[in-house]
Amino acid sequence: MRTAENALVPPFRRPPSQVAIRRASSYEEDLFKLTYETLLEIQSHSRCTQSSGDVSASDSPFTFADLRGRTVLLKPNFVGFDPLRVMNTHPAVVAAARESFLKLGAAQVLIGEGPALDRDTEGIIESVRLRDYVGPLKRTFVDLNLDDVECVPLRTRASRLGELYLPKTALGADFVVSMPKLKTHHWAGVTLSLKNMFGIVPGGCYGWPKNVLHWAGIDNSILDINAALRPDFAIVDGIFGMEGNGPIQGVPKRANVLVFGNDPVAVDATCCRIMGLLPERIKYLAGSGTLLGHTNAEKIEQLGESIESVRTPFAVLKEFRKLMEPGREKWN
Amino acid sequence: MQAQSESSLVNEVCLPFLRAARNEDGGWGFHASSESRVEPTAWAALALSETGSSKDLCQPAYNYLRAAQLRDGAWPSSRAQRVGSWATSLACWALMGDSESQLAVTAGLRWICEDWPRDINLFQRVIQKITLRGGKEIVSQNATLRGWGWTPHTATWVEPTAFALIAFDQAAAQLLPRKARSRRKLAKALLYDRMCPGGGWNCGNPMVYGVPGDPLVEPTVWALLALRDEPNRRENLMSLEWLEQNLSRILSARSLALAKICWESYGRNWPTSLIKLRELYAKNEFLDSVPAMAWTCLALSPGQNWLKVAHREKEL
Repeated sequence: MRTAENALVPPFRRPPSQVAIRRASSYEEDLFKLTYETLLEIQSHSRCTQSSGDVSASDSPFTFADLRGRTVLLKPNFVGFDPLRVMNTHPAVVAAARESFLKLGAAQVLIGEGPALDRDTEGIIESVRLRDYVGPLKRTFVDLNLDDVECVPLRTRASRLGELYLPKTALGADFVVSMPKLKTHHWAGVTLSLKNMFGIVPGGCYGWPKNVLHWAGIDNSILDINAALRPDFAIVDGIFGMEGNGPIQGVPKRANVLVFGNDPVAVDATCCRIMGLLPERIKYLAGSGTLLGHTNAEKIEQLGESIESVRTPFAVLKEFRKLMEPGREKWN
Repeated sequence: MQAQSESSLVNEVCLPFLRAARNEDGGWGFHASSESRVEPTAWAALALSETGSSKDLCQPAYNYLRAAQLRDGAWPSSRAQRVGSWATSLACWALMGDSESQLAVTAGLRWICEDWPRDINLFQRVIQKITLRGGKEIVSQNATLRGWGWTPHTATWVEPTAFALIAFDQAAAQLLPRKARSRRKLAKALLYDRMCPGGGWNCGNPMVYGVPGDPLVEPTVWALLALRDEPNRRENLMSLEWLEQNLSRILSARSLALAKICWESYGRNWPTSLIKLRELYAKNEFLDSVPAMAWTCLALSPGQNWLKVAHREKEL
């Protein structure tokens, strides 16, 4: 089932990706309906692209039909205590995704996260009120920091890590969905669906923070982790995001969007364009565009709202001014 | 009556859970039915020992820990790994209760003393000064101080540093290498340097891009436990005050149990108005977490023998 088998494909061999932008101005909206319908729309467009002969015959069309009886892992971004509710993926978005994948036939939809800075995962998920949205967590939530692990030789050599111990729940899932918050990041520029995969690296092996990844180079580690376990799908919570000194100490920024896609690189590139940033200047995203997905807008089939109609420039630290689209002047 | 109900949690829930969750190899995973790991095994062994469990129950844990020790004296965080980790301090701490493990503990303490973190060096500091040219420093801290990292060849962080200091405190003086004294002094200075501006600790970044970091309960607890030989020092009093102000915000059993341990280790009375561990158990059964169960046992045990310091610094 996992599309990750095709994780490492150069852009000229990779079919166009589908990314859908949906407007949503509140977490009180019917996010389940919006999510479910968007998933079906992306599937339908993916099939059309395949049948038009746009890609090589060896590429299988993207479909949720194969999810029947399978295990889906949702990987939100739960960072820490968040009184303003802008640091963590909102539980309403996670619950909507969970219900949607169950309706599509998944046997179980797990939610897994391994926070980087705080060992108290239980406290974090209680503080985001995840239980209020998805029910009892004992059989649904997996602390990826403390899961059983397996040593995985890395398929790329962007960093010198060579191998990583990764959680068995993530490795064993049939379909992995990265669910980040739309945020700037004070080391990497932005943190979206690719950077969110730092959270699958277990603190129980590498500590809190997972400092070995920093020494190996954040950009390079992001590439290696995603090449080892590329998310099959991404859903970005951009109803409220964070600008400036993210991912923790930034300023709340309302963007009123949810962004969905079957290519995490294309989703992240689209999110950057919504934020008024140049994806090709974000080091790990530029690297990902050569092997893991599309950053080139011409290879991304845009569904739903246009980027222009939802564009919301995000302020960045002055160290990241170079990421801003020409003509923008706002930075922190 | 309430206090009695709270302490009965140990015998009614936590100890039966720990007995049932032990794996055949004598160790515990982080959760029931997960593979044995060094850290949860150390916590479970300490909890069983503290609650007066028989040697028959503790011995398999000691055996597991001894078998998991690497040749260089360190313990990896999982047995599949081939390098040492912060779990070395915890394994040493747990094995100090076992007379047959003194050699293992001595080797472990020696490894801790030899394990230096990979913090920024003098050359890198000079380069950073030049490149900043008066600009804002990314992090504001004394880069000459050293503690311990989570894993070898990574930077110093608060919790592994506190674990190492506590392991030194618990060890009989004759087990400690000579270097322990200087490492202890340096590491204590580091913990004070890494305290957040208003008291309390996070993982080890008190200030990033000029913005004060937010303290967290667990690093604050471990740092305070490591520094409790100076109970009236200003930084510790500030941090206790931060902890007190944030006790009512705690939402998990693990943090609540640790906060209680820390609070009472400073001779303070635990506020009766706070949420009870039993109430948290009713919410989610501690998510089957072995450390949460073990820490609950330790928090509700009257003696706190597991925290008794074996010696004072001057004896080192």
